[in-house]
Amino acid sequence: MLSRRLLGQDLAWAGVILLLAAVLGIWQQWQLVRLSWTGALPAHLEQQRQQRRQVEFQGVKTLNLPQTYEIFQGGQALFVDARDADEYAELHIAGAVNLSPDLLERQGDRALAGIPRDRRIVVYCGLANCNKALEVAEKLQSLKFTEVSAFMDGFRAWDEAGYPAETSE
Amino acid sequence: MRPEFPAILRRLLEIIFGALFCYAGYLKLLHTDEFAEAVLAYQLLPPGLVGLVAAVLPGLELAAGIFLALGFKRRSCLMLLGFLSGIFLLAMLVTLARGLKIDCGCGLFFSRQVGLAPILEDGLMVFWAAGLYYWELMVAAAAPALAAAARPDF
Repeated sequence: MLSRRLLGQDLAWAGVILLLAAVLGIWQQWQLVRLSWTGALPAHLEQQRQQRRQVEFQGVKTLNLPQTYEIFQGGQALFVDARDADEYAELHIAGAVNLSPDLLERQGDRALAGIPRDRRIVVYCGLANCNKALEVAEKLQSLKFTEVSAFMDGFRAWDEAGYPAETSE
Repeated sequence: MRPEFPAILRRLLEIIFGALFCYAGYLKLLHTDEFAEAVLAYQLLPPGLVGLVAAVLPGLELAAGIFLALGFKRRSCLMLLGFLSGIFLLAMLVTLARGLKIDCGCGLFFSRQVGLAPILEDGLMVFWAAGLYYWELMVAAAAPALAAAARPDF
């Protein structure tokens, strides 16, 4: 009986704290709430993401799907898949090697031993909103690879376009 | 009277738990757009409500975390934080079952995919909150009986 009364009190105070947080949160983030309600949130978030990337990865060259496919057809570039090993093994761009940010961090220079520093390298990850491709491309640039670009549309766009892909499984 | 060891341990666990959520809420407040992206990526809410959740949740984690660490309305805070962790656990399980490879938006560590490790961590949070809540409730329920027993009979 006492526990039930305490439970009721706890629920009531939890409601008060929730209400307080809700009022303050909505007041502080009114623009976000409004954008979401009007359906403009995805576009706003995309714009914010692009701005963040421009600041964070300002030295990295980027490519879109047609540009990347053109380079692929040239046959000279090394494609680097920055996703985790299991995703890479499932399906990746034909001829790509797997090099996630973690692996690159652990192995450093040794991860790309024997590859000339002026070799054209295209790095990609899964989706247009993932940052792994940019992280790996930036790291490769810091390792003195001079022709590094990041394919920004991600592997899903490549796969959906029906471009060559292979599995390691 | 000096507090006994179980009471000190209980408070210590509450302070750590509250501090974890303070930090998680604070990070989300600093990066609201990234948090909104993470909420959107789960594809579990109507898009119109994503902004509301992204606006309210960080403040709720922060407020409940601070109150819990300070010892204000501890059981209510544990109830809220346990509920939040439970909902989050459910969302991650659904996401994993759907095969979506998305960032978990876990708060303490950005850029981590939904997977076994975040699920186990969150499961621990649910267990932590539920255990502390039950402990607090038992102590509170026992307090009037103890007080009655200590009262001198006239």
